[in-house]
Amino acid sequence: MEKFRVLVVDDEIDFLETIVKRLQKRGLDATGVDSGVKALKLLEGEHFDVVILDVKMPGMDGLDTLKEMKRKRPFMEVIMLTGHASVESGMQGIQFGAFDYVMKPANLDELMEKMTQAYERKTLHEERKSSGRSGAAGSVRG
Amino acid sequence: MPLSPKVLIVDDEERFRTTLGKLLTVKGLQVDNVGSAREALALLGENNYDVILLDVKMPEMSGVEALAEIKKINSGIEVIILTGHASVDVAMEIMKLGGYDYLLKPCPVEELLAKIETAYDRKREREGRGPKL
Amino acid sequence: MKIRGGQPRGRRLQLGVRGRDGGAISALNINRTGAPMSGSEPLDRAASSLVPPTGGKTRAKDSFDPIRHQLLTGAILLATTIVALFSSGAVLAVCGAALAAVHWLSGRRWARAIEKAREEKRFLDEQLIQSQKLAAIGELSAGIGHEINNPIAIIGQEAEWMRHLLQEEPGKTEEISDSLREIVRQVERCRDITQKLLNFARKMEPVFQGVDVNRLVDDMAKLVEKEAKLRSIRVIRIFQSDLPALFTDPPLLRQVVLNLLNNAMHAVGEKGAITITTSASGRDFVNIVVSDTGCGIPKENLGRIFDPFFTTKPQGQGTGLGLSMCHGIMDRLGGRISVSSEVGKGSSFSLALPADK
Repeated sequence: MEKFRVLVVDDEIDFLETIVKRLQKRGLDATGVDSGVKALKLLEGEHFDVVILDVKMPGMDGLDTLKEMKRKRPFMEVIMLTGHASVESGMQGIQFGAFDYVMKPANLDELMEKMTQAYERKTLHEERKSSGRSGAAGSVRG
Repeated sequence: MPLSPKVLIVDDEERFRTTLGKLLTVKGLQVDNVGSAREALALLGENNYDVILLDVKMPEMSGVEALAEIKKINSGIEVIILTGHASVDVAMEIMKLGGYDYLLKPCPVEELLAKIETAYDRKREREGRGPKL
Repeated sequence: MKIRGGQPRGRRLQLGVRGRDGGAISALNINRTGAPMSGSEPLDRAASSLVPPTGGKTRAKDSFDPIRHQLLTGAILLATTIVALFSSGAVLAVCGAALAAVHWLSGRRWARAIEKAREEKRFLDEQLIQSQKLAAIGELSAGIGHEINNPIAIIGQEAEWMRHLLQEEPGKTEEISDSLREIVRQVERCRDITQKLLNFARKMEPVFQGVDVNRLVDDMAKLVEKEAKLRSIRVIRIFQSDLPALFTDPPLLRQVVLNLLNNAMHAVGEKGAITITTSASGRDFVNIVVSDTGCGIPKENLGRIFDPFFTTKPQGQGTGLGLSMCHGIMDRLGGRISVSSEVGKGSSFSLALPADK
């Protein structure tokens, strides 16, 4: 499997540390931060392929973070992680460009599979953009 | 006999009607507000409103339907319709049903106030009390 | 060919269309689906009505078969009449040859006429699509006007209220900040609407990936399940296990499925069931059906539910973009969305996606 860069954003430090370690063990280049603000700050200097983003966080919540992330890096894929399934947040998340929703507690295999698919999507997207095909993502036709 | 018009605001946007209520109150009007046409109709029996500000797009009963009902209950009340978008069809219908005027949201409070006052004057004139000064 | 004053009249659009040679072809009353309404028949139907109903098979690839059939029928009728008159085999043979020649000649003439008619129809169709687009834009801007003007009206009032407070009662700082908060909220509401519109208008090409449909649908079902349980709504899954492989855009498909589930929840309200079915039509299509036992959709609304900004939800609770977005997405995925509904019994939304992309 190709090694891609993953950023995990979750305010529960224990969960964060564990999942980052487990993802690293699976051969991914994984980093963790415990808030949306920190994640956005990190994105200013670094590139990630896939983000795992907790929906419910104090301060800047997952949805607001997602919106900002998508504005900054439209091709980076974001998987939302949620402890409380909510239709409304699901609708919004997907509307604002989340790749998928994963319910906590997350099964690692399932998460890996979704991340791989998200990474594949990002690669496909970028390939298409660089090959200069018409209708590239992000273009708005009047 | 009230010296200032008694106004009822009917709009399903809570914040719109409450703030408008406050703005009109500080201008010296007596204002009530409700969130649906049904509530408005229920209030008509026991209150003598001079002017009703009515939103067009509301769930259950639309402003146009409500206008017809209001005119049935008390044809003397002047009704000003407020709407988010102008449509010739709706405007025609409102005038046919006896609506006094038609205002597009957003509109400055001064403009709305002027309309309310002329509507009120007209009502008083019709009731034989002459225009307010 | 030019549109001569296409003017929207209510929900219909009336068109006067001129042919390329300058002559008027016809005036059509169309509705927004482009189906001709009263006024004139489309050329296709006019042409096919020339042909008497036949019991026999016609070859599909031969487009002029109906005409030939009609001429042959005429020839046989004529020949039969002549036979009856003269009872002569010789006459019949001569007539037969002559009719065959007439048939061949008129077949070619007809072919040219029909080809010309078809060409005109193609132009007409293009014009219709163009005018439908214009009508859609008109409706869209009316919708935007309404959706955006309401929050703007609130913002304007809050600003006036703040001005009043600052001038007359400057001590009321809490009320001033409350107005400020409301302004920020309403700006956010506007931004959400424009964002959705942009997403809507964006011709972002889908990214096709292999998808396990059952799992994708199951994931979305899980998102609604908890709320469904609280409202005594059963979520029933009927999944076909051996679905053909599907290449589609996963997040876009999720968006459609979740939208349908959300609508179903709204329609049911409390106590009822939502049934999600996956199945395959042969090896060509994968179907996802979301049915509910909710309030159903009145017939008069059924034709409008995919229109942008059409909503029956109260102000501020639905922009009316959900289903039209679903429709747009399904178009982009090369699939279809359809609806059937009965008031009081429930609605059923079906998605069909091409299995092989």
